[in-house]
Amino acid sequence: MKDNEVKSSTAIDPAAYAAATTALRAEALRLLAAGAAAAVVGYRAGRRGSAQPFVATTPEQAAELIFTPACVNNLALYLTKAKKEVSRRGKLAIVAKGCDLRAIFGLIGESQFKREDVILLGVACAGVYRAGISGAPSLTEATLASKCKECTVHVPTGVDFLAGSLPEIPPMAAEEAAALARLEAMTRQERWAFWKEQFSRCVRCLACRQVCPFCFCEQCLCDRNRPQAVESTPRPAGNMSWHIVRAMHLAGRCAGCAECERVCPMDIPLNLLNRKMAQELKTLYGQEAGLEVQEKGPLTSYHEKDDESFIK
Amino acid sequence: MHPEKKHHTFEPKIVAFVCTWCTYAGADLAGTSRMQYPSNVRLVKFPCTGRIDPVFILRAFQKGADGVLVSGCHPGDCHYMAGNFHARRRFAAFRALLDFVGVDLQRLQFSWVSAAEGGKWVEVVTELTERVRQMGPMREFKELAREEHWSAQIALPELKEAYNAIP
Repeated sequence: MKDNEVKSSTAIDPAAYAAATTALRAEALRLLAAGAAAAVVGYRAGRRGSAQPFVATTPEQAAELIFTPACVNNLALYLTKAKKEVSRRGKLAIVAKGCDLRAIFGLIGESQFKREDVILLGVACAGVYRAGISGAPSLTEATLASKCKECTVHVPTGVDFLAGSLPEIPPMAAEEAAALARLEAMTRQERWAFWKEQFSRCVRCLACRQVCPFCFCEQCLCDRNRPQAVESTPRPAGNMSWHIVRAMHLAGRCAGCAECERVCPMDIPLNLLNRKMAQELKTLYGQEAGLEVQEKGPLTSYHEKDDESFIK
Repeated sequence: MHPEKKHHTFEPKIVAFVCTWCTYAGADLAGTSRMQYPSNVRLVKFPCTGRIDPVFILRAFQKGADGVLVSGCHPGDCHYMAGNFHARRRFAAFRALLDFVGVDLQRLQFSWVSAAEGGKWVEVVTELTERVRQMGPMREFKELAREEHWSAQIALPELKEAYNAIP
């Protein structure tokens, strides 16, 4: 099982999270009392130190909002078509960490909603827990999610309100970059063996699809069976195609919130695929997803002088 | 007279996804000009390279193709103005993904063949067929398709044995 033990390395100061909570509550109260927002999508405390997504609709409920290292969910999910009941309430305010904000900008770029339809409550976030952490331990290298160790968007920009300030973050080893480099250094056969082993564990619960803000298609290609593009049973062949198709459909769009990897019950390192594609598209076409609202992503635009060295 | 046909121990299956305006017409020209090219290639005609979803390539490999060729109009010649420009980016990304997952890119060829390039079509097809022939059959996806799912909890030898004993 996961290593829940808190190591003695320097912890991130929890005071910053408390300050962000206070600021968020005040701003949510102001917005809800003034009627500027019909609802505030944020987090509230769950059991055993966890946090859960929460839609505050009355000024009284604003006091329930929190921001802690347990606020792992990407709330951008509540803005897409999948959660119509939320967006029908009226103008929404939404709490966004830097990584969530990248997804929100991506969704605006894909015309899922308009920038003026949402009030963005950014939070300066030093990082959140990795999957499988309970009981609110202090935030150290052992308990921090690997995506947060390489985060470049701790303080969100382009938001309507910024809660909290960034505490000092001790230097940490870049786990994901190291894993990616290790895979890239392998031979082709070794990579195939690695992914075959990983994907063969997949039980096709499709939690990765359910939790992804960008998987908002009303009908997924992978659910269609006439013609069937991807075998729907959790057998190795279908698993391989599902994960390749998933990575391909997210290429140039995924902003790296790593929610897919967090929710995966079989611990498949899905974010490695997403990161690889993002890295590849950045080197090829110099575009990164979600840093600002972009009308065209790298795979929905083109340049006449694009590289075609691989085409005969 | 036709030159005498060589007999090989392995005849690769090549699937070619081609656009109807350029490469299909190019292949047609090769045919009407009586040029010889390997009959290993099976053509699937699409309106445009922009219509060719990467999942088609994946499916071809899973269903037993040893090599895949994707071919369309030269940049700037697309019947729909920009279909091949979009396809070019998509396939560049897809190649990178396949390579990362561990698929041999030598089996996947992209080319631009115009309606006037019957000769180039013959050349591309012959080269890919011979290359894949040298490499032998594509085993990875076929083996994967034959495998069963054993999630970590139930991957017991006796259970596998019982499964394999099912007639």
